[in-house]
Amino acid sequence: MTDVDVKPIIEIRGLGKSYEQRPVLADINLEIRPGELICVIGASGCGKSTLLNLIGGFVKADRGEIRLNGVLVEKPSRQCIMVFQEFDQLFAWQTVRHNIEFPLKKSPERLSHQQIRSRVDHYLAMVKLTEFSDYYPNQLSGGMKQRTALARALALSPQLLLMDEPFGSLDAQTKGELQETLLEIRQESQATTIFVTHDIREALYLADRIVVLKAGAIAAVIKNQTRNSNETRVAEITALLSP
Amino acid sequence: MRIKALFLKPYSKYIWIILMLVAWELTAKLAPVSALAFPSLELILAALIDSIVNGDILMQMVFSLGLILIGLGIGVALAFLMSFLAVVSPVFASFTDTCVSIFHPLPGIALLPLIILWIGTGSMAILFIIVHSVLWPMILNMTAGFKAIPEVYKKIGQNYQFNTLQSIIRIFVPASLSFLIAGLKISWARGWRAAISAEMIFGASGGIGGIGWYIFNKRVFMDTAGVYAGILMIIAVGIFVEDFVFGKLEKNTITKWGVA
Repeated sequence: MTDVDVKPIIEIRGLGKSYEQRPVLADINLEIRPGELICVIGASGCGKSTLLNLIGGFVKADRGEIRLNGVLVEKPSRQCIMVFQEFDQLFAWQTVRHNIEFPLKKSPERLSHQQIRSRVDHYLAMVKLTEFSDYYPNQLSGGMKQRTALARALALSPQLLLMDEPFGSLDAQTKGELQETLLEIRQESQATTIFVTHDIREALYLADRIVVLKAGAIAAVIKNQTRNSNETRVAEITALLSP
Repeated sequence: MRIKALFLKPYSKYIWIILMLVAWELTAKLAPVSALAFPSLELILAALIDSIVNGDILMQMVFSLGLILIGLGIGVALAFLMSFLAVVSPVFASFTDTCVSIFHPLPGIALLPLIILWIGTGSMAILFIIVHSVLWPMILNMTAGFKAIPEVYKKIGQNYQFNTLQSIIRIFVPASLSFLIAGLKISWARGWRAAISAEMIFGASGGIGGIGWYIFNKRVFMDTAGVYAGILMIIAVGIFVEDFVFGKLEKNTITKWGVA
């Protein structure tokens, strides 16, 4: 999967960003290959979310460039969909089904009504929410909301899925269930994913590679083929993160 | 406790109204008040029924309601256009803010002398005052609603590559519906006030001058029961719209979505 011969889906070169002359990210270089699940980990304020927003095109870089499949990222697009941490990212006025349908209607793919319906059914089943398809977001738990947001993002078949601490506000049990779901989805969809978290164990459980961000720079890129989150590995990353 | 519980039910408004009517009747019958200033319910209802039977009050009511609904429609459309432009252009947003600061506190009735000069008297002048009364509170609520939209919704709109109009129609409007309904309620009430004030001043053309003119006319002929009958009609329509139009709208939207 991380074969160097495979053309990267994302290429980040010399990326830098400052807010009010305070540097947040400096000289970020990274390549991500199709199907990889990359976890970006770091302390609060180290630039994790800024990096994700830059990749998503929500924020403009001061220096450097990001290419998605060789095309310069200049603004947000449907090829690169973000799942946010906030539970209120679902549209309150739409049911679970309609939330997932919403971006598919009038999409450039020009899907028929039947195609939309079957695609929504597929992703509802994938995130185990078929029975709740007629529920409004205010009737769902936090975990169900995040599952819906994930289904809505996946239904667009993006080339890249960006996840900004999506499980950060969930209790440990729900978080574990959603991590399982994400890995199952990944088996099926092979979506390339960049997942931001501050939870070292979560990163070790999910990622193919872990990008350790420290003070706005990449401190290390760790291969994580074993997905082993034992104490030694946690301690290794903790040491990398400590000042 | 059972009586207290009655007043906590959704229909408690109607219990209060019945109590007020009883208090009114007792005052009219027992207190040393002039029957001319304080007619009994019997007289008011007789005047109301008489006006309904001869069609006068209904005709005037339909006329006023027609003007208010047209004014409301024009006001909401203009408010939407101005709020849309304010979202697109910060310069236009600054212009809109200035207009709201100037015109929102300005009663339509204060513009009457100018409106008579510009348009003359009649339905168009009344419509102008209604639009003025509706437009500014609606813009105020629309823009406040758009500003209160969670940042994450705006990002999602960008992510789906919606243009500004798509974002406003598909995200901003439903997301700020509680503000829009509040704006509509205020606009509806202000539209009524403006219409009745203007009708009282402009009078009738061809026998129809609206419910305001009806009330004014009854006063001229010292038909106090008729005045109260007109006021009762306005109250009845107000309660109907509040409960069965706005109430239903809220129940089926913002209450159901948990954003009320």
